[in-house]
Amino acid sequence: MTWAAFETLLTGAGTTVALSLAGLAIGVPLGLALALIRWARIPVADQLVATYVSLVRATPLLTFVLFVFFVLPTMGLELDPVPAAIVTLALNTAPFNCEIWRAGLTNFPRDQLEAAEACGMTRTLAFRRIVAPQLWRVCLGPLVSEMTILLKATPAVAVIGVVEITRAASRIGAATYDPLPPFLAATVIYTLLIAVIVQAQRVIEALIARRYGYAAP
Amino acid sequence: MADAAPAVSARLVCKQFDGIEVLRDVSLDVAKGSTACIVGPSGSGKSTFLRCVNWLEQPTTGQILLNGAPMGVVPSPKGGTRPMTAKELALARTRVSMVFQHFALWPHLTVLGNVIEAPVHVLGRPRDEAVEDARRLLARVGLEAKADAFPHTLSGGQKQRVAISRALAMKPEVLLFDEPTSALDPEMVGEVLEVMRDLAKEGMTMMVVTHEMAFARDVADTIAFFDAGRVIETGDPKAFFTAPQTDRARRFLTRYGI
Amino acid sequence: MNGFAIVWQERALFLEGLWNTVSLVVAAIAISVPLSALGAVVLVEAPRPVARLARALIDLTRCVPFLLLAYVIYYGLPQLGLRFDAWWAGLVTMTLYNAAYLAEIFRSAWLALPKEGFEAARAYGFRPATLYRRIVLPQIAYASAPLVGGQIIVMIKDSALLMIITVREISFAANSINANYFTPFAPFVVAIGMYWMLSLIVEAWVRRVASGARLRYG
Repeated sequence: MTWAAFETLLTGAGTTVALSLAGLAIGVPLGLALALIRWARIPVADQLVATYVSLVRATPLLTFVLFVFFVLPTMGLELDPVPAAIVTLALNTAPFNCEIWRAGLTNFPRDQLEAAEACGMTRTLAFRRIVAPQLWRVCLGPLVSEMTILLKATPAVAVIGVVEITRAASRIGAATYDPLPPFLAATVIYTLLIAVIVQAQRVIEALIARRYGYAAP
Repeated sequence: MADAAPAVSARLVCKQFDGIEVLRDVSLDVAKGSTACIVGPSGSGKSTFLRCVNWLEQPTTGQILLNGAPMGVVPSPKGGTRPMTAKELALARTRVSMVFQHFALWPHLTVLGNVIEAPVHVLGRPRDEAVEDARRLLARVGLEAKADAFPHTLSGGQKQRVAISRALAMKPEVLLFDEPTSALDPEMVGEVLEVMRDLAKEGMTMMVVTHEMAFARDVADTIAFFDAGRVIETGDPKAFFTAPQTDRARRFLTRYGI
Repeated sequence: MNGFAIVWQERALFLEGLWNTVSLVVAAIAISVPLSALGAVVLVEAPRPVARLARALIDLTRCVPFLLLAYVIYYGLPQLGLRFDAWWAGLVTMTLYNAAYLAEIFRSAWLALPKEGFEAARAYGFRPATLYRRIVLPQIAYASAPLVGGQIIVMIKDSALLMIITVREISFAANSINANYFTPFAPFVVAIGMYWMLSLIVEAWVRRVASGARLRYG
C-alpha cells in the first residue's frame, strides 16, 4: 500500500467522522424533541412519532439513503450525495436517540419530580431545572453506544457515491488488485475511532461520578 | 374570619385508587401553630392523606382548606368549583412544603442549590436574598459547613436536615412530614427529630406522619390515629397514649410497648 | 406507467429478493446462535489465554462495520484462495458478524443470572452437561430473548448492505427497478414495507417469548 493510498483512506476517515458528527448534531436534539412529544403524550403527534420510530427502526440505512437520494428529488427536493447522506443519517439515528431519551425520562426518579411539584414547580420548570441537567448524564452511555453504531453504519452511504473509509478501502483494493492491506488499514482506523469515543465516554463518566457521586447506571 | 380558620382543615376526604378505597371520610383540623401527628399501621392511608393536603394525590371527594382557602379547586362564580389549572396549583403548593421519607434531594445541585432552587425559580426571590436566607436555615440545622457539598456526600440524617431547610426556605404556612425518619439509620433519627422539635416549639404548623411514638407523645398537640383508611381517634396525645378509646388503638400501641 | 404497477409487473424480482433476504437471515441465525453460544462458553469458562483470544476476536469484529467485513470476505479472501459466490459470502459475513454480537449478549445474560440456582442444581447432583441443558441454557434463552430479537432486526437491516457485493436481496430489487424504470417511489416504499413487516414479525416473536418468561419468572 502506497502513501497516496493511505492518504485516500485518511480522507475517507475524515468524511466518516464529519458525516457522523453532522448526523449526531441533528439527530440527537431531534431525538430529544421526539421523546418530549411522547413524554408529554401530545395527542396525534404521539402516535405519529411512535409510527415513525417503528418504521425507521425497521428500515436498513442503505434502503433509507437510496430513498432519500432518489425519491426526494421527485418531490422537488434535490440533494447532493453528501447532504443526502447527512439528512439520512440524522433521520435514521433520531428514532434510536428518541428511545434512549424516553427511557431516561420514564425512569427518572419519581420522588425528585414530586419534590419539585410540592415546591410549586410547573412541569415545564421542573423539566428545565431538575430533569434536563440530569437527563443527559443518565443517557450518556446509551447515546455513546448509539454513536458508535452510527459510525459503523456510515458505509451504507457509499451506495450513493460518498467516499468514506470503507468505500475508499475497496477502491484502493480494486485499483491495486491487493484488497487485504487497505481493508486491514480500514479496520485499524475504525477500531481507533471507536476506542477514542469509548475512552472519551469513560473520562466524562468518571468526571460526573467524582462530582455528583453517580453516573450512568 | 379567615384568621380564625384552622391552618389545615380536611373535610370528608375520600380517595380511591382503581376502585379500591384508601381513604374514607377523613376529617381533621390542624390549628395554626400546632403540630398534628398522624399514626397508625402501615397501609392505613396516612401517607396518602398527607399527600392529599398538597394535592400530590387528588381526593376523589371531599375538601382540603388551607387557612380557609380550598386547595386544588377554585370556587366558580356560579357556585360549584372547577379544578385549578397547573399554574394555579403550582402557586397554591408554594404555601405548603413537604419533607419526604427518602429525602428527594436533587442530586445535581449542591446543598445550597437545593435550598435556593424553588425560592429563586418558583417564587422569583432575588438570588442574594435567597442565599442569605438559605445559609441561615442551614446554620440552624447545623449544616452551614456543607453548603457547597453535593447530596451524595452526606449521611441520611444530614440529607433529611437539608430537606427540612429546603422546605422551610419556601416560608410555608404548613410543613408536611411524610415518615421523615423511616429511611434513616437508628443513630441518625435523633438529630432529625431534634430539628423538628425546635420547629414545633417555634410555632411552625406541622403535620407529621410518623412511627416515632415517643416523638408523637412529647411534641404533638393533636394525634390522629388512622386504621384502614379512616380516622379512628383524634385528640390530645396524653389521652391517646394513656387511655386509648378503641380496641384497635390499644392493640396498635401494644406493639410499640405502650 | 404507475410505479406500483411496475413493481407488480416485476414482482418475481421482489419475491426473489425477499427469499434471499429471509433465507440469508434464517440460515445465519441457525448457524450463529450455536456458534455464539459456544463463544459465550469460551468467554466465561475457557482457560485464560483462550478466553482472551476469543475476547479479542469478538471485540475486533464488533469494531468493524458490516460492509467492511463483507468486502474482506468477498474481495479479500479469494486472495488467500478462499472463493465464495455472493450469496455464500453474504451468509459467512452475516454469521460471523452476528455471532460476535450474540456471544456478547449471551455472556452478559449468563453473568446476570442469579447463581443460587446453579448451586442448588449442583447440590442436587446435576452433572455439568445436564446442568447446562436443563438449568443454565433455558434461563439464558429467556433472559436474552429481547436483545436477540433486536440483534435479528439489526441482522435483517445489515443484509441490505449485501446488495453492494451483488447479492440479489430486497434492496437490490428496489434499486434495479428504480434504475431501469426511473420510478424510485414505489419500489423503495415496497422494500421498506417488506423490511418493516419482517421486523414486526420478529417483535411479535419477542413479545411471545417475553410473556412466556413472565409466566415462569413473574
